Amino acid sequence: MLELRDLRVHIDGHEIIHIDELDLQPGARLGLVGESGSGKTMTAKAIAGLLPDEAKVSGSVRFDGVDLLTVGDRALSGIRGSKIGFVFQDPARSLNPMMRIGRQVSEAIRLHTRLRGSAVTDKVVELLEQVQLPDPAVLMRRYPHQLSGGQQQRVMIAAAIAADPELLIADEPTTALDVTVQDEILRLLISLSEQRNMSLLFVSHDLGVIRFVCERVAVIYGGKVIETGRIEDVIAAPRHRYTSALLAANPGIPKDDDFSVFIGQRLHTIAGSVPAVGRFPSGCRFRNRCEHQSETCAQSPVPVALDNDHRYYCWNPIGEE
Amino acid sequence: MSLVEVSDMYFHYPRARGRGDEVNWTLQEVSLAVTARSTLGIVGESGSGKSTLIRIMCGLLRHQRGAVRFDGRDIGEFKGAGANDLRRRNQIVFQNPRRSLDPRMTIRRSLSEPSRALHDRTPDDDELVISLERVGLGREVLPRFPHQLSGGQLQRIGIARSLSVQPTILYADEPVSALDVSVQAQVLNLLMDLRDELGLTLVVVSHDLGVVSRMCDEVIVMRDGRIVEAGRTDAVLSHPESAYTISLLEAARSVSLERTWEASR
Repeated sequence: MLELRDLRVHIDGHEIIHIDELDLQPGARLGLVGESGSGKTMTAKAIAGLLPDEAKVSGSVRFDGVDLLTVGDRALSGIRGSKIGFVFQDPARSLNPMMRIGRQVSEAIRLHTRLRGSAVTDKVVELLEQVQLPDPAVLMRRYPHQLSGGQQQRVMIAAAIAADPELLIADEPTTALDVTVQDEILRLLISLSEQRNMSLLFVSHDLGVIRFVCERVAVIYGGKVIETGRIEDVIAAPRHRYTSALLAANPGIPKDDDFSVFIGQRLHTIAGSVPAVGRFPSGCRFRNRCEHQSETCAQSPVPVALDNDHRYYCWNPIGEE
Repeated sequence: MSLVEVSDMYFHYPRARGRGDEVNWTLQEVSLAVTARSTLGIVGESGSGKSTLIRIMCGLLRHQRGAVRFDGRDIGEFKGAGANDLRRRNQIVFQNPRRSLDPRMTIRRSLSEPSRALHDRTPDDDELVISLERVGLGREVLPRFPHQLSGGQLQRIGIARSLSVQPTILYADEPVSALDVSVQAQVLNLLMDLRDELGLTLVVVSHDLGVVSRMCDEVIVMRDGRIVEAGRTDAVLSHPESAYTISLLEAARSVSLERTWEASR
């Protein structure tokens, strides 16, 4: 349903993104994982046509057979918001503080569906119920500041699914929330995607969160996919050195809740830090931080395909020492 | 002996009064003790009072009821030069290093501020380099401004800055939650190394149970301004008793990498 081919984004002469190939099937949930500056948000924005004007984009982003990069602003407006919905990180900043909840959601309905009049109000109530908010009739009259962060994010999700999108793009939707609230929102996103057969492109820096939500994952570093596959395959047997380093650096929770094994233990570290835009090395973008780099790493790695469409881009992968 | 002791402490912010004489307490019935050279973890959701508590413990905010003692003395007794000494010995590393360093100051200036404020003395570059090397940085960052450095480098500078006045106790308020995953581990390991090397007492506020269990000897779990559970980290997390700690663990478990996928649903 969504096919990215040779997608490149240039800003100020720097290649920020180069994604050779990435697909998302109808009803499937794909996670984009990466650290800040990896290009995961830029990739999501490129799909939605939300990049800044100075960005030069090439390649193709096909959605239901239509190339979103060449379709033109008018047609894109018809797709964005109605066939593709969005949820962003900070709900407090995405909601209008001066507008009652009911009106914010009804605006999305009016903009993207043909419903008018009292049908709009009915739809608002229905949507607020679907995102499991209590007392929709009362809540509609509230302002954003009267809601908790978790409730605000539910309102954002209600507005995003107002027009029954085929694809929902969620960019770090739970990063600003407490862990217990995060758990509720993630479960809501999973159940909405299952009930509506809605695809989910889920952007996060946390592999644990992606594992909970998604079937597949693409690990992004330096604007490139460095490994992709079923999340269980990638976690159980990562091949790229960066993927395994990210997994090892995750503080996590011990097996069988036996915390005694953690006491006093040091965490696994990755040397250095993510370079600034334009400062990534050529070839493998991770090579200047990698313990296993060799001369070949100065050349762009070629993709290696394994079972279940598990692909990686590394010259010295794990398991081939 | 306990280095910091809080007993039956209550705190409210100014004008936090409800109807009539009712007070909206931010913290209630808080009692805890921090043993010298140990590490205490404080866990709880936003609004539970974690950050307020550490500010009271190091004397930045005054409580209304109960007692707070530092090194055996009531915290209110530190006055004049004593108050300066209390500040020197209690240092905080904040969550967001980009916001806690003045963007208009060079790193040299930011690093020398604590000495200037507390000892009225400007340290020379060689002294500053010693503090920088302790956190894995070098002389080259001295003339730079915060915007020229990465989040991980800035948090190292935040740590160097608090250590520059030889504190007894270091409070770290969510020290890595603004940092990239790959850098978080570097900063946490650095804090543990410095604690061991300098014999520091450490208090870490964090929502991450994986972080707390690795770093802390003891942990307190807070909710709505009260301590709901406290004890040895291993005991509290492996055998939680309060419903709230259990729900925190469940939420952390769903997004854990160690669990099998089916079990996490």
